[in-house]
Amino acid sequence: MRDYIQICDIEKYYGNASNVTKAVDRVSFRVEKGEFVGVMGPSGSGKTTLLNMLATIDRVTSGHIYYENTDITELSESALSDFRKNNLGFVFQDYNLLDTLTIEENIILALTLQDEVRDIGPDSPSGPAGRRLGRKQKITRSCDEILRLLGIEDIRGKFPYQVSGGQKQRCACARALVNRPKLLLADEPTGALDSRAAQTLLETFTHLNRAMEATILMVTHDAFSASYCGRILFLKDGKIFHELIRGEKSRKAFLQEILDVLSLTGGELSDVE
Amino acid sequence: MLNKLAFRNMKRSARDYLVYILTMTLVTALMYAFNSLFFQNELAACFSLGGADIMAVMIGLATFFIVLIVAWLIGYMVRFMLEKRSTEFGVYLLLGMKKKTVSRLYIRENILLGCIAFLLGCVLGVLLQQILLTILFSMVRMEYRLHISADRRTVLMTALCYAGCYVLALFRCRRRLGKMNIQALMNARRQNEEIREKHEGLKRMILPLSVFFILLFWAIFGKLQNALQILLFLLGLVLTIYLFYTGLSAWIICYVRKKGSGIYQGQNLFLLRQFASKVRTMQFTMGTLTSLFTLALMGASIALMFSVFENTVLDDKFPFDIQIFSPDPEDDFADERALIDALELAPQYYTYQIYTDREIQVNTWLLTHLKDWGTKYRNMDGTPDLPEIEKMLSHEIIYYPFDTYMGISDYNHLRIMLGYAEIPLFRGEYLVQIKPRLCGEAQDIGKDLRIADASGQRLLTCAGVVGDPFSQDGHNGADYILVVPDAVLERMTPFYAELAVSTEKAVPPELQNSLDALQESDEDLPFSYMQYYIETEDSGTRQCIGSDNIVSYAGACLVRDSLIPMLKYILGSITLPLFYMGLVFVCTAMTVLAVQQLSDSAKYKFRYDVLAKLGLGRAQIRGLILKQIAAYYLCPALLAMIISGKMILFVSNAFVAATGVPVAASRFFLESIALFFGIYLVYFIVTYVGFKRNIEEKPFSG
Repeated sequence: MRDYIQICDIEKYYGNASNVTKAVDRVSFRVEKGEFVGVMGPSGSGKTTLLNMLATIDRVTSGHIYYENTDITELSESALSDFRKNNLGFVFQDYNLLDTLTIEENIILALTLQDEVRDIGPDSPSGPAGRRLGRKQKITRSCDEILRLLGIEDIRGKFPYQVSGGQKQRCACARALVNRPKLLLADEPTGALDSRAAQTLLETFTHLNRAMEATILMVTHDAFSASYCGRILFLKDGKIFHELIRGEKSRKAFLQEILDVLSLTGGELSDVE
Repeated sequence: MLNKLAFRNMKRSARDYLVYILTMTLVTALMYAFNSLFFQNELAACFSLGGADIMAVMIGLATFFIVLIVAWLIGYMVRFMLEKRSTEFGVYLLLGMKKKTVSRLYIRENILLGCIAFLLGCVLGVLLQQILLTILFSMVRMEYRLHISADRRTVLMTALCYAGCYVLALFRCRRRLGKMNIQALMNARRQNEEIREKHEGLKRMILPLSVFFILLFWAIFGKLQNALQILLFLLGLVLTIYLFYTGLSAWIICYVRKKGSGIYQGQNLFLLRQFASKVRTMQFTMGTLTSLFTLALMGASIALMFSVFENTVLDDKFPFDIQIFSPDPEDDFADERALIDALELAPQYYTYQIYTDREIQVNTWLLTHLKDWGTKYRNMDGTPDLPEIEKMLSHEIIYYPFDTYMGISDYNHLRIMLGYAEIPLFRGEYLVQIKPRLCGEAQDIGKDLRIADASGQRLLTCAGVVGDPFSQDGHNGADYILVVPDAVLERMTPFYAELAVSTEKAVPPELQNSLDALQESDEDLPFSYMQYYIETEDSGTRQCIGSDNIVSYAGACLVRDSLIPMLKYILGSITLPLFYMGLVFVCTAMTVLAVQQLSDSAKYKFRYDVLAKLGLGRAQIRGLILKQIAAYYLCPALLAMIISGKMILFVSNAFVAATGVPVAASRFFLESIALFFGIYLVYFIVTYVGFKRNIEEKPFSG
């Protein structure tokens, strides 16, 4: 598999000349297409800063981030907006759904902001049948498809305040994925969910990763969530200090392995489930 | 501790609600400036009517409405801030503070805020007062010397008005605070954010109904016959104003739900939903704002009408320096002349007589042809309703009971006195001299009149209709006078006498009162004049006033330098309070709109952050903010423009027709809109800049 996303030696400093905080310190790694990567680390380890830089909503101090052949650290602000719109999807702990829109409309909005509606599956609007469709039909079909895929068709007409946290988060996933982003960025997506809803969401992630070949980068401090990933990067004081690959291991075995690594960090992540 | 907390909270509120404070400061300044007119003895002494100062009465009336509206604004803001800070108050209660203490704390904060706005407003008010007085004095042609000092009575009165607003507003708020419990306070904000959509299909029908009513309103306003119809219509209008927004938001919601193709374009879905939810949550407020805008636009238009009148027509109304009417055709005006001579004004006198042929053909023509009278004096077949006309002529003091005539030599002499060119008249001709505003309508009068020559055997031909200002409110005829060759007058009867005076020096205004004092009472009227009025029942004066309405002034003695300032003062007492009310109404409404948008910026910040994450660039987001605020600001303004437009056009058409101001009727509407949008733009820019700053404070919160 060729390199899909390359992070080369990136650094992020905060503060002024007399007092510099290194949030991310010379981090490099690669993400292959269709990979499900987790980033773990204690609070203040720089994982959210790293995610924000990958998400183009924060700038690197030095280093480069390549999405295929595009170096996003070189892009202007308006080019970054377009890049974000066309290539990235976001899922956050607090869902970030628009409260004035229904679940379905939250997804439609993500589609209407695009110049072109892209395909999300084999019988997608941009497939042979889809090409003949108008913009409205394409959007409707894409939306229906993703709602079905995430099992939230029956709540499509409801407002965010009328549904549960798990449903909200699945809606956020649907919105993030409906444009077939190159990378789905998830920041503590299970942080506000109960364990059952968290499990359902993570299973959805795994399913999306397999069925749609979605590339996912998830930041979490929760070992249980991380055990669903294919590979985990451990961050401490802004640096990658360890990497775990699941390979053919069972999820349980992988979870144990993660817990072992965490125990080496001095129990700073003791709130694991 | 409580004081410190109140002070800190007040400081925070002042930052968050700067627009509100600025508006309150402006309102106080306006209040101060206008209240100072109450104590402006110099002008009141010059122009008081029957002991009452009309300006004080009108400003008192305006102040009453303004206090009510400002109380509404304060009440609205107090409730609004209370809602925004409900969680904080819940925490105070949780910490063990008593409800009474919390309510006292909140009220103390508001009073502190009010005091600051009041003090700033008074300082600004002293300056504004100078501007206002300079305008007023120059309007009535008096000199005003700037005199910057705070008048104790004005400050006290402004404080009383201001305190009245607060007492009205806080009284309601205290009750509201008393009823709240911790649970309700903690949940208040969340409840506010919930969007309830029920029976939208039904509610949607209100929009076409409202639009239909507005169209109906445009079609039949002005044709309403009686008080009941007008009352029902006004009721319908108020309902339309308030229900329009329910219909509008339901219509948008239904459109979005039905997945209309518009929502699939760019950010439309976001904008429509945002707009619908905002309109829904504040539909009642939007209705009130529309009413305020409507009233403000109407007030400003009417004020503009009178202000144009006083700047254009008023000077033409009194073309002679002095003019005196006498019911005795033989009057030589000896007493009046003696009085004027004593003033050494270098006067030039001209005494002349107005004649009549005891016919009513010109009066009849005007009553049956002028738009002013409609079909009132016509039979069904279009012929003049003579019994009705005769009744009107003998009972009302609009037209003289008989047609009025003047000789060509008198006419041309007067024209020269006024600086007009002489008009030559041949033996077989006559002229019609008519008020400028009626000149266009009376162009064909010559075709229908049959005026006999001196011999009474042959008819004169009409040489033209002249519309120069010629003092025709009862002096040189009422509305019109027929100018005939001098020889024709020999077969006519002298009707009344006139004295026209032009002076080289300025006439002292006191002359008006001295001349009025000379006027004879009814009993002294000569028989020749009285015989025409044998049936007339009313009127202290025997002079007619012409068909002008809305603004008309008739008097036996007219001293221009006294009357014009007095009439300007009276007109000013209408225009200034109307502008005052209009300004306060617009500022109040704009403050509510601005504060709503700015204080919601935390919520909006989150929404725009999400949009940024979805890939919207900074420029696109700014464009979206602009669209959002514009839609929100324009909606009540447009509805108010549509509603007030019809009324203003109707009134201004009537005004132009009745007063003859030489401007298009639509000008008043357009000018008041321009004025309105000037203020609008200021608030819009302040809101946009504040909003943008709040949203962009920290670009993204990922």
